[in-house]
Amino acid sequence: MPKRTDIHSVLIIGAGPIIIGQACEFDYSGTQACKALREEGYRIILVNSNPATIMTDPEFADRTYIEPITPECVEKIIARETEEMRRLGAKGRLVLLPTLGGQTALNTAMALVKRGTLDKYGVEMIGANAAAIQRGEDRRIFKDLMLSIGLDVPVSGVADTLEESRAVAEKIGRFPLIIRPAFTLGGTGGGIAYNREEFEVMARRGLELSPVSEILIEESLLGWKEFEMEVMRDKADNCVIICSIENFDPMGVHTGDSITVAPIQTLTDKEYQIMRDASFAVIRAVGVETGGSNIQFAVHPDNGRMVIIEMNPRVSRSSALASKATGFPIAKIAAKLAVGYLLDEIKNDITRETPASFEPTLDYVVTKIPRFAFEKFAQADPTLNTQMKSVGEAMAIGRTFKESLQKALRSLEIGRHGLGGDGRHWRIGNDVYQDRDILPRELISRRLTSPNAERIFFIRHALRAGFGVEEIFQLTKIDRWFLVQLKEIVDVEEELAASEP
Amino acid sequence: MNRELLAKAKSLGFSDRQIASLTRKSEDDIRALRRQLGLTPSYRLVDTCAAEFEAYTPYYYSTYDRGDDETRAGDKRKIMILGGGPNRIGQGIEFDYCCVHAAFALKEDGFETLMVNSNPETVSTDYDTSDKLFFEPLTLEDVLHIYEREKCWGAIAQFGGQTPLNLALGLQKNGVNVIGTSPQSIEIAEDRKLFSAMLNKLGIPQPPNGLATNEAQALDAARRLGYPVLVRPSFVLGGRAMQIVYSDAELNHYMRFAVEASHERPVLVDKFLEDATEVDVDCIADVGHFADPAQGTIVIGGFLEHIEFAGVHSGDAAMVLPPHTLAAEVIETMRRHTHAMARELRVIGLMNVQYAVKGDTVYVLEVNPRASRTVPFVSKAIGAPLAKLAAKVMAGRKLTELGFTKEIWTDYWAVKESVFPFNRFHGQDILLSPEMRSTGEVMGLDADLGIAYAKSQMAAGGPLPLSGRVFISVSDAHKKQVAAIAREFAGLGFEIVSTAGTAKVLEEAGLKVARVFKLAEGRPNTLDLLKNREIQLVINTPAGQTPRADEVKIRTTAVYTGTPIMTTLSGARAAALGIAALKRCGYGVKTLQEYH
Repeated sequence: MPKRTDIHSVLIIGAGPIIIGQACEFDYSGTQACKALREEGYRIILVNSNPATIMTDPEFADRTYIEPITPECVEKIIARETEEMRRLGAKGRLVLLPTLGGQTALNTAMALVKRGTLDKYGVEMIGANAAAIQRGEDRRIFKDLMLSIGLDVPVSGVADTLEESRAVAEKIGRFPLIIRPAFTLGGTGGGIAYNREEFEVMARRGLELSPVSEILIEESLLGWKEFEMEVMRDKADNCVIICSIENFDPMGVHTGDSITVAPIQTLTDKEYQIMRDASFAVIRAVGVETGGSNIQFAVHPDNGRMVIIEMNPRVSRSSALASKATGFPIAKIAAKLAVGYLLDEIKNDITRETPASFEPTLDYVVTKIPRFAFEKFAQADPTLNTQMKSVGEAMAIGRTFKESLQKALRSLEIGRHGLGGDGRHWRIGNDVYQDRDILPRELISRRLTSPNAERIFFIRHALRAGFGVEEIFQLTKIDRWFLVQLKEIVDVEEELAASEP
Repeated sequence: MNRELLAKAKSLGFSDRQIASLTRKSEDDIRALRRQLGLTPSYRLVDTCAAEFEAYTPYYYSTYDRGDDETRAGDKRKIMILGGGPNRIGQGIEFDYCCVHAAFALKEDGFETLMVNSNPETVSTDYDTSDKLFFEPLTLEDVLHIYEREKCWGAIAQFGGQTPLNLALGLQKNGVNVIGTSPQSIEIAEDRKLFSAMLNKLGIPQPPNGLATNEAQALDAARRLGYPVLVRPSFVLGGRAMQIVYSDAELNHYMRFAVEASHERPVLVDKFLEDATEVDVDCIADVGHFADPAQGTIVIGGFLEHIEFAGVHSGDAAMVLPPHTLAAEVIETMRRHTHAMARELRVIGLMNVQYAVKGDTVYVLEVNPRASRTVPFVSKAIGAPLAKLAAKVMAGRKLTELGFTKEIWTDYWAVKESVFPFNRFHGQDILLSPEMRSTGEVMGLDADLGIAYAKSQMAAGGPLPLSGRVFISVSDAHKKQVAAIAREFAGLGFEIVSTAGTAKVLEEAGLKVARVFKLAEGRPNTLDLLKNREIQLVINTPAGQTPRADEVKIRTTAVYTGTPIMTTLSGARAAALGIAALKRCGYGVKTLQEYH
């Protein structure tokens, strides 16, 4: 199918300032989209309030608005540009591409739909339509949709008031419970409640922080394995998996705060194929017509029960990671699909031979590790949970998980040069231990049980202090395969330390 | 150690640093040993197809796994650009922006560009940005391998923030041609003693200061200078562990728990200039290309006047370009100082200077001969790509050749506002301090200063209210000035709400004030009003050094209820200006292409 010729100008909404949960990955995706669509000859109108982005460089768009990304302000821009297009005698129409600027762009676009702005000015949304966004983002609708196509979801309920919240908790019947406010970014205001008292506090906060005063209360999947799939779909219903990602940290830690690994390491091919089929089913049911989506799964470590956690009907933080991990430019391809191309019509820049409908194949392992800034927020709780707290991330590539993990650790800029053995001391609270000291077992157990930014290093301390893989698994629920890899690294550390100079 | 063990360790990702420490050798020893044994990494392609088809985009990673090297030779001169690594507070997208511009600029000038970075979120790690992308850790070991393998002509370490800057000297020692301002000049700017000597020579004032490597020295210095003093470790970005201290006890606590002072990394103790106005200056220079520094060109990109008074980290402060309150003579003095320092340091590329203006005196707080966080903002504001120009200058061009020789003064206003992650860290107080805590920034542009400020607040997610109630509670030190500000809000039609102390001052000034209980006095109190959305704006300045629990609760509640809050009087004044402008005429929108 050729590209659409009825479009004259494309309005792209950026993600605004860098905040936790929405970092410069959206500059990356927005810049790619601007380039890809300009290449096709469309007039690009861009709005983004963040001056530190490449996309707001005046040469990346025809019209660059460094203005606030609010529905009111974007409406002014649409009015002004409609007028300008009339003046230019433009033949085609103005369309809005809302899927490349994170949650900010998506929420703003939805608000414009509700205000009637898009109808008033005859602006069409491309990439995803309002109904699909609603289905992907509204937890109640999404859950029912998943059940209707035979996929499993966590036992849960939605509440609009505190009373309803209590009733849902009663129905699920056991703590801990997960609380997720609707339409917030990076899980703002969410949390894990272990008792009634915490539940009351979190439910109230979640209701206040959700722009639609709605929270989802879910059975706890703490300790389950977590996976992500990056899927793309075109107008002719071709679907491809760009990248599969496995979270090293089990459920309970926000995926933005987890160490993640691509491709998936601990599933059998059969399990992977089931997850792949489910991903296609999800993107079709939600109805994302063109572009990319991110779908999150949880798998019970013992019985293998697989449930769908959520989907993002847009380019997400994970898409940037998936693009860098595979070399497949998701945002660029998503922009081209949005204006009518099909996956098999777009050439892969890297090979110049294969089309974008080929699923990438990896002959290496990619590890991403989040970077935290707790030293700046001394009064805040450093335990990791479902609300994202990291401020950045490092990624590394190696031929094995071990190689890529150690490369990623020394990329983190936290003064460490690998998993351990670099000669630097460990500062834990007010205590200082030398690099090769054996830490007290009790301290190690505590730090393994509750997720924290340094847990990866405590696994090394544990292995050196004589904890077995099984014991560490029981404390962390981190898959035994990963623990065995870490043990191999620690074994070589010991071998080096014992070697003759 | 035998070759087999060393090879095994490398294939498991061990760094030379780890191996050196574990085998009681130095990193240089291990590097030499590996070279002798022929153990170096090979570079493989990220190609989407596991090598089934030929790949044309040069996107590489290193591995010690056996296999062929997949890098290709080229015939152009190669420049390596060192990125900033993972984002963190103090080192974010601004530096990635500069690296990307360096890649674009040098490509235009006919160089082959190599990007080295480990941050997957960025534009710099898009394989389209540079000619070759190396997705690698930014450590001496990893960077040296690439430099040597690719036989680079030079490397840029001044664009990616502190990460590559910390590597610069080590790289130079190992034969890397670090282009631009010399690492020695960078050291003069970063080493307190050398820096003071330079300022003395040039006759430029700096706040009285001292150095300390232990508690006793710190106390000595503080007593000599007189409290309050500003303390901070050397060689950090983002004001890590930077603090204003008011007493011996606070200083003791700081030295004991907040920093690790050492002989190589002493703690800097500066006299803190209360109520001074801070200004950031970004300039570009090509002085180092000339035997006679007087021949070089220096152009100031922009003067950014901070809205908050000194003591707020420049990464957190709101800023206005061009300056809105400074006298022409003060600006001329800053221009003179900036030029003098750029010549003395023989700058090639970018330099950022932070000034504090108190009365008629202009003090230099800090000089950084490298790309600063404000470069993208200034570039967008004035319509000239400073980072691009700087990269070309660093690779040998002169500013006269590039046609950039004059300062650009805009006839519109650009306001920078910072965005904070406090809603993620419940219970964390939100007061601005010398320790940077913002994650991002926004820009407000308009012909009217008030509207530009109002837009910056809208963009930062705290739109200014046009009516309703404003809660005012300020410290004793600010009580004198508070009436004037309250009067402005009353004039704009706001109802003023205060607790007893501030209310008394305002009533005496003839203003109508609705009193509200302090938290301990009864209900409904300030928190109740905030939670019920009965307050539209909070003006709350901290009382003394250790904030009262009450205040912290008010501020954190404002954050969590999404109520706009000003914690400085200058911020409150700017808010009044913005509200007045919005009420007068509303706001319009305009493209960057039309501004420039």
